[in-house]
Amino acid sequence: MNEINNVVVLGANGAMGGGSGEVFAAGGCRVTMLARTAEKAAEGVAMAQGLAKSERIGDLMTTGSYDDLAAAVSKADLVFEALAEDLELKKKFFAEVDRHRRPDSLVATVSSGLSITEMARDRSDGFRRHFLGIHLFNPPNVIVGTEVIPHAGTDPDLVREVVELLESRFGRVAILTDDKPAFAGNRVGFKVLNEAALLAEEHGVAFTDYLIGPYTGRAMPPLATVDLVGWDVHKAIVDNVHANTADEAHQQFAMPRYMNDLLQRGHMGNKTPQLGGFYRRVKDGKQTRNMVLDPKSGEYREATASPVAPVPFVEQIKRLNHVGKYKEAFRVFAAAEGDEAHLAKRVILGYISYALNRVGETEVVRSARDVDRIMGFGFNWAPPTVLVDLMGVETTTRLLKKNGLPVPAVLKQAAQRPTARLFREPNVNIGRFFAG
Amino acid sequence: MAAPVYVLGGYQTDFARNWSKENKHIVAMLLEAVTGGLEATDIAPTDVEVAHVGNFAAELYCMQGHLGSMVLEAEPRLSGIPTSRHEAACASGSIAILAASAEIEAGRYDLSLVVGVEQMKTVDPKTGGDYLGTAAWYEREAEGIEFPFPKLFGRLGDEYDKRFGLKEEHLAHISAVNYSNAKRNPLAQTRNWYMTEEHACSTDKFNNVIGGRIKVSDCSQVTDGAVSLFLASEKAAAAYAKRRGLELSKIPRLLGWGHHTAPIEFDAKVAESRDNPYVLPHTRQAILDAFRRAGVADVWKVNAIETHDCFTTSEYMAIDHFGLTKPGESWKAVEDGTIELGGKMPINPSGGLIGAGHPVGATGTRQVLDAYRQVTAQAGDYQVEGASRIATLNIGGSGTTSVCFVIGV
Repeated sequence: MNEINNVVVLGANGAMGGGSGEVFAAGGCRVTMLARTAEKAAEGVAMAQGLAKSERIGDLMTTGSYDDLAAAVSKADLVFEALAEDLELKKKFFAEVDRHRRPDSLVATVSSGLSITEMARDRSDGFRRHFLGIHLFNPPNVIVGTEVIPHAGTDPDLVREVVELLESRFGRVAILTDDKPAFAGNRVGFKVLNEAALLAEEHGVAFTDYLIGPYTGRAMPPLATVDLVGWDVHKAIVDNVHANTADEAHQQFAMPRYMNDLLQRGHMGNKTPQLGGFYRRVKDGKQTRNMVLDPKSGEYREATASPVAPVPFVEQIKRLNHVGKYKEAFRVFAAAEGDEAHLAKRVILGYISYALNRVGETEVVRSARDVDRIMGFGFNWAPPTVLVDLMGVETTTRLLKKNGLPVPAVLKQAAQRPTARLFREPNVNIGRFFAG
Repeated sequence: MAAPVYVLGGYQTDFARNWSKENKHIVAMLLEAVTGGLEATDIAPTDVEVAHVGNFAAELYCMQGHLGSMVLEAEPRLSGIPTSRHEAACASGSIAILAASAEIEAGRYDLSLVVGVEQMKTVDPKTGGDYLGTAAWYEREAEGIEFPFPKLFGRLGDEYDKRFGLKEEHLAHISAVNYSNAKRNPLAQTRNWYMTEEHACSTDKFNNVIGGRIKVSDCSQVTDGAVSLFLASEKAAAAYAKRRGLELSKIPRLLGWGHHTAPIEFDAKVAESRDNPYVLPHTRQAILDAFRRAGVADVWKVNAIETHDCFTTSEYMAIDHFGLTKPGESWKAVEDGTIELGGKMPINPSGGLIGAGHPVGATGTRQVLDAYRQVTAQAGDYQVEGASRIATLNIGGSGTTSVCFVIGV
């Protein structure tokens, strides 16, 4: 692989366009930001400056429209596609890139889950050998987890070099995943997020976010996360997985009907503040009214100061997390009884089971370390083996069986050495995942 | 000859964390630092005989005092051990180390746990800046002043400018080097932040002036963090080495220390040093004392320095005070690459306070832990090749309390 010094970003004005422009410029590349118009592309430069908190990073960036694509691509070491998640649109641009790219240049897509194989179809052999997915998470200057997704025709040496380069020069924590719908991070993450959305229909939004909240090992409650990501993005991801996979959690990828209805009426979460998503913050003069969705009626109600009656085991775990006693906290979790406890366990154990079951020769990733890294560094969620370590292999296995969840092979192997720790990633404070 | 004091290692929390966002009590930081340290060194909690905590202002930031006693909350098997807490503003961590090492030298204890800790993100930046003002003479130098400390260290730059001349580009370069080193440190607060010398030289909405000549890029960060260290007598170190099949001579020691105090008011410091070649002569003396006690002839006998760069001006001061250049000529070591990783005398391979972060009461312990990592070849990507001796300089207030250590094998 040649050195990467000149990068062209397609779709420069989108969130991932501006964000990836920042990542490449921060690594010292000259970046050509292209969008429908040069003015649009300039929005991407401003976004990159905002992320880097530096006007100077813009000195490494130039802007242009797609009229400039041929000239820019012919000089690029890397063409980085960050267009809308629309396969046909992407393919159209790749055909154009194929015509103008240098024979040795790298072409990558930032797609969060569309088929890399499909994008490479009909392209020249040279293009196909140099094409892969580099999935960054938003905002990429903060969230360093990155998935690298080759298709069957990608040059294997190149893949290795790209992973190395992303880690050494661009500050990424990179994992290799197979070209399967939503790859590893979003496959596992959106399984949990959509399961929360399905539960919200029966149990309410505030209660679901409380029960599967940050105390269980995530920076943000699940439904607030869906609002942040956007309901349109959520739908694109879960529909893709639902349509193109048939695993043990198939039903949990079915987009809830109430979400589909509201999405049709334009509700997309934080990006449509007037309409809202699970939550709606209505500015009323100087005051902000916090509203919360009632999924059953599709209406929004005033959020009260304490919308949920505290659940004793949840409060106990939060108190233990507050003072840093994470092991004791998960002992309480494992032992908790009652309807709420069963619900919380189903989701959290379901996460452990589903995540670690994506590991295997024919699965999405090859090692538990990969799924740990992408959930920890890509989602800011407690990696699945961290949760296993806190509860113990034996207890986790027993609880998985009790909940009718498949026991992953990695846990069966670990049962041979039940006291050995599974999570071995250096320099990660596991405490950071568990909120008090 | 004082009895030797060995450093058996320790643990640093990830300085990028925001423990208030995690809704954590300061005891959680103590707990993670202590349990992490016990695990990293494989020391049995029952072997620990005494604990010292360095902390600046938990009473203000966290409404919590008596932090010595809270070490016991981290680990039930520490029950009953003597504890205390030490405060000397940003030098609190080093003062805790001095107290622990004095006890070992006196033969009171064989194995001592030292923890530096500060939780600072509990309050907004202005309130935090006001709390930090208590490290100066608050009533005279800080009360009613927004961000008093950047202004005080801006005046340190002004004093250099007046006596010798000072260029902004040299301060900008110091900032860029620290950020660049921090990118190699997996526990550094700014490891994913953007910084270049060009950015540090610009003045714009992202790099505005905080006070005087100090801009955002000249400042260390508001940081949450804790660091534990284990110090041992020769007896305890020998037992520790034997259990692990190590040679005692390979276990790092605190080879020397220096500790001096200047008048707390910045104006008084400057008045006192008017006819001295050094702007902060007490800081210079702390360094010379540490070198003398360590049997080190001059700065070139150490392999790297972890210094106090709460602002770029403090590192600029450290360069000539350590003797890398003649007084007032620090810029030469900045220009010729001496202070860079791979240079003749790398300063802050960890990223220092500007890059790695500055949890005030933990900084002195962090510096000594990084020195330990360097001399035991455990510093990973920020390793100074072949390092066997490192000097640290930790400063409280506007150059008021200075503590220097030489750590080596």
